Amino acid sequence: MTSSSKLPVPVSVLKWPALVAAAALGLAGCSVANSDGAGTGAADTVRVVLGQEPPTLEACESNLTSTGVVVRSNVTEPLIERNPTSGELEPKLATEWKATSDTEWTLKLREGVTFQDGTPFNAEAAAFTIDRAVNSKLGCNVEGYVFGDADLAVKAVDATTLTVTTPEPDPILPLRLSFLEVVPPSTSTTEKVREPIGTGPYKIESWDAGQKITLASWDGYWGDKPAYAKAEYQWRSESSVRAAMITSGEADVAMGLSPDDNIGDLGVDYPNNETVALRMDANEAPLNDIRVRQAINYAIDKEGIVNSLYQGKHQVAAQLVPEGIVGHNSELKGWPFDVEKAKSLVAEAKADGVDTSKQISLVVRSAQFPKITELAQVLQEQLSQAGLNVKLKMLETSQHLTYQVRPFAEDEGAVALMTQHGNQAGDAAFTVDQYMLSNGAQSYFGTPEFDAMIKKADAASGDDRQKAFEEIFAYQNDKVVQFAHISHQTGILGKSKTVNYTPNSSSGDELRVSEMTPAS
Amino acid sequence: MLTYLRKRIISSALPLVVVVVGVFALARMTGNPASLYLPLNATQQMRDDFTARNGLDQPLLVQMADYFGGVLRLDFGQSLRTGQDAAAMALRAFPATLQLAATTMVLAIILAVIVGCWAALKPNGIADRISSFISMAAASIPDFWLAIVGIWIFAITLGWVPTSGVTGASAWVLPIATLLLRPFGVLVQIVRGSMVSALSEPYIKLARSRGAGELRVVTHHALRNAAAPALTVAGDLTVGLVNGAVVVETIFGWPGIGKLMIDSILQRDFAVLQAAVLLTAVAIFALNILIDMGYALLDARVRPVTVKA
Repeated sequence: MTSSSKLPVPVSVLKWPALVAAAALGLAGCSVANSDGAGTGAADTVRVVLGQEPPTLEACESNLTSTGVVVRSNVTEPLIERNPTSGELEPKLATEWKATSDTEWTLKLREGVTFQDGTPFNAEAAAFTIDRAVNSKLGCNVEGYVFGDADLAVKAVDATTLTVTTPEPDPILPLRLSFLEVVPPSTSTTEKVREPIGTGPYKIESWDAGQKITLASWDGYWGDKPAYAKAEYQWRSESSVRAAMITSGEADVAMGLSPDDNIGDLGVDYPNNETVALRMDANEAPLNDIRVRQAINYAIDKEGIVNSLYQGKHQVAAQLVPEGIVGHNSELKGWPFDVEKAKSLVAEAKADGVDTSKQISLVVRSAQFPKITELAQVLQEQLSQAGLNVKLKMLETSQHLTYQVRPFAEDEGAVALMTQHGNQAGDAAFTVDQYMLSNGAQSYFGTPEFDAMIKKADAASGDDRQKAFEEIFAYQNDKVVQFAHISHQTGILGKSKTVNYTPNSSSGDELRVSEMTPAS
Repeated sequence: MLTYLRKRIISSALPLVVVVVGVFALARMTGNPASLYLPLNATQQMRDDFTARNGLDQPLLVQMADYFGGVLRLDFGQSLRTGQDAAAMALRAFPATLQLAATTMVLAIILAVIVGCWAALKPNGIADRISSFISMAAASIPDFWLAIVGIWIFAITLGWVPTSGVTGASAWVLPIATLLLRPFGVLVQIVRGSMVSALSEPYIKLARSRGAGELRVVTHHALRNAAAPALTVAGDLTVGLVNGAVVVETIFGWPGIGKLMIDSILQRDFAVLQAAVLLTAVAIFALNILIDMGYALLDARVRPVTVKA
């Protein structure tokens, strides 16, 4: 384009655009500003494409999916790890733990572990990590998610013994601790750290903002050396583009694909622990009548939705947690699809003076998961069939949140909110406390006896705990009916033929590169 | 010319302040970002801590005064999302958009001038009809669809170029081709229109009668007079591109300012949004000044009087 003499245009006309072009290209050489050279397809590198760039790699924010997927168990490690398949807690940087009193837990730590900066891992580092994440003013996301307002008292008894004391008896403290990724005491306590140092098999080699993160295998790792020397992360917001990168061989692993991406046998299904349900506000007519809420449950054709919208890959849900979570009640079956029953329940409520013609807002977050718009339209139609007046409201994330969490938007009338709930922790307490307590952050209502059941379950352990939560899920369907459950979802991960990897229910939150091997 | 420039720069300052105040106020009207950044089960205490930590509990005027104080010291604040310096994030993203926009517009202008002139030589002739069809189609195709189809054909089926990303020269092809089509289509129409009328002017007949060759007639006599409307439209189209080729940047993973702005709006990342808007506004004012200077080069009548002939 620089040889303007060949063009049928006088130089003066070209002067301006040519100047800009020369400036722009001069600025760039031939690479894009904000990028740093070539992506490699080398055999010892596994290339992963995510849905978004991690906002940060800060270890105390790693319960956020977009951060955790890169950091957890790759760069940093927890004291205790939850096996996503069996649900059991397994040793990681702590080798054993036990409750030494109602409120005190004692942990034995692994010896011979060092951080990637050479400092040794010991009880002091573990205590520092807990203090930094839970007791500081940093405002770590993991603090709110896992520990609430409770501060923990931590003490390094000797180099390999740590005690943690909780203000109230907490039977699942070890599970909570599995969310804390351990960092060395040199980590800042006044600022969050974008590129943490950990004890994991990989360390952060480079982060080209906007473009790519590269992890490189670390020679001083205490465990087995991983098969891949490097892991490269890129991100594309369109799932069809992520799928295309697998098909064209530009990436080896792609997260979060949709059934529409038609990736064929390069797509691997896995249970992602996400459950979709409608949450109904019983403080407002007509949802204040339990028969209307039951009618909504009968009116939704869950089988039809699962089969036609999701190609039969999801499962009909009867509760907020899928199989594999402590407290899941395998006896419960999804409400049968019965339009006549729904109609008659609405008619009964109407006969008793409930204004069933009052509008119900079906509040849905745009693009929250694949096919959500279609799902919302189907629900609107099916609820109308039952004789209800439903208006669909599609909102962006921030607006949707004003309906999703307390304090709820006021003067909105009756709201049925579509919620997608993922229980990353593996214990029903993380679901029930938020969604079912009268004053839970994501709960519209409850009853005093239901609250008492939940409090009791939270304090129970072992088989009692499992049973107590099973009863809670049955009770909600029977007596409370705040939720109309739709489906347990299935994730799709794109995987090239050159990589061996089996995704599990936690792959979306914690993608362990050390579990990937090259296919020979 | 320098006086003219100085005047233009001074007169641009006020709109810039208006833009910044507007964005600042509008962003804060969308509500407190606390729920976006805190876990769903966050307590009121955590929400209050978050609000206070980020200065969002202050009255709006105090926040604005703080912000302007910062801007004067070139401190644009920190990103809520990444904790990085907001200005650094905007400055890092902007060149990528600028390169994309500049390359696209240069190619669009060159192609449009060639095709437009070719079509204008024989109005309603076969060349005119073909170019008309192509340019109307190009101006009407939605870029989202085009980008996805482009990836499917050229990256997956044929394997000629990468699907996305910024690695190597071939990665430029699809984003530029996608972005190019609309400005190209619009510009062909403009160039053709003004060339048709320019070619029917008496001075063209005169030039021809004096024995000027066809190429010389088109380039030296007609095009020079037909260029001004095309330049105006090209300027507007460029402004649109510099403002962020959001769809293209999103699909192709191009790390530009358009994607940064959309993300910061969705994430209520106020400092980044403000920095990105301010930077873009400055760039657009600069671009408008450049375009006006371009007129002056083309047409003596619009040259400021201070310019020596």
